Amino acid sequence: MASRASRSSRTSARRAAGELEAEVLAALWAADGAVTAAQVRQAVAGGLAYNTVQTILVRLYEKGLIGRVADGRRHEYFPVKGAEELAAEQMQALLSRGQDRQAVLQRFATSLSVEDAQALRAMLRRRP
Amino acid sequence: MTFSVYVPAALSLLLAAISRIVVARTAPTRAAAFVVAAMLCASAATWGLILLAATLLGNTSLVTEEANERGVQLQDPVPALIGVTAVVLLILGTVRVVRVLRARRATIRELRAVCRSCGHGELAVVALDAPHAFAVPGRPGRILITRGLLSALDGDERRVVLAHERAHLQSRHHWLRAATEVCAAVNPVLIPVREAVAFLVERCADEHAARVTGSRALVARALTKAALAGGATVTTKGAPGITPVWPVALAFAGCGVSARVAALHSDPPRPEPLVPGGVLALGVATTVAAVQATIAFFQLIYWLWPT
Repeated sequence: MASRASRSSRTSARRAAGELEAEVLAALWAADGAVTAAQVRQAVAGGLAYNTVQTILVRLYEKGLIGRVADGRRHEYFPVKGAEELAAEQMQALLSRGQDRQAVLQRFATSLSVEDAQALRAMLRRRP
Repeated sequence: MTFSVYVPAALSLLLAAISRIVVARTAPTRAAAFVVAAMLCASAATWGLILLAATLLGNTSLVTEEANERGVQLQDPVPALIGVTAVVLLILGTVRVVRVLRARRATIRELRAVCRSCGHGELAVVALDAPHAFAVPGRPGRILITRGLLSALDGDERRVVLAHERAHLQSRHHWLRAATEVCAAVNPVLIPVREAVAFLVERCADEHAARVTGSRALVARALTKAALAGGATVTTKGAPGITPVWPVALAFAGCGVSARVAALHSDPPRPEPLVPGGVLALGVATTVAAVQATIAFFQLIYWLWPT
């Protein structure tokens, strides 16, 4: 029983770390160009401690998911882009496939009709 | 037999009607109940078609000779035309199922290939401006997001997208969707159920993201911004000369995003029993009808067994 509890708490801690890694990586991709740890901290939700951000950046760097350049005493971080053009081409091809194939994609947000877009904009204005 | 064999088809229509009516109001966790009901309806209807098709055997010389030999008066339970129609429907259904499964497999394979090209790790980012985010099922599942979507959102909103896609992966929503896609391919009457389940799993993931981030308004905002970042690519339904890009999905999902945003702005869904009574009753009724049809069919042919 005790071992199960400790295992489950360990998994949840690990998952939380994984979630933070994804968020930091997402922030680096959203940023234009290389950014410092302080800038990453501002771009990630939830007001993380500077040290936490630093730790995650180091971990991502060790995994080879991000790169860094030295700028004076600080480091600036940027996402490692992998086979960037290949991925973009594959994705474009996938998005332009026929209707059968589109139905399979589970989209975060589907395309909108003009009325829907108007309604959503109105809602966004009312509740910023 | 002639009656109960048609019951699953009628109940499929009823289930389709129910899912159209209640989907906006039902608790998102009920998606699974709709999937089970759709599976029961689809399998009962298919079994009914098989039985109807099997009545054609009564016209073959093999059966008629056997009947003459034993002095059995052959009944003609249904007109041959219905038997033939059943055969045609079965063949069409099989073709559609194969097509759906192939499309699924190919799409998931391609999504995985994109993820691989992006590198390793849970999050895969594609350098595209179009805003998209997908949950890519697999072991482990991955989250595929375009750079366009990430830069359209702020830190809190990016967290929402990640939590939303993670909910799809953790709850294995792709199985629910796959099941209803197959059901709708077998029995096109169930297409509204497929759309309802597609909507409900999105709602599940939205509510999960709201629990993770602690704010339903934030999820609504992220969803709105993500949808608007894509621009209004599909014009008004029925506008002359313009074909919507995804006609089937649009029957529902065209207003899906606004419906999801509206749901997030209203009260959180109350915990409700996972299986709504109506859907449960439907499932039981189709099963009973299928069993009844089967018994009736065997009553027609029991004399074939050596005594």
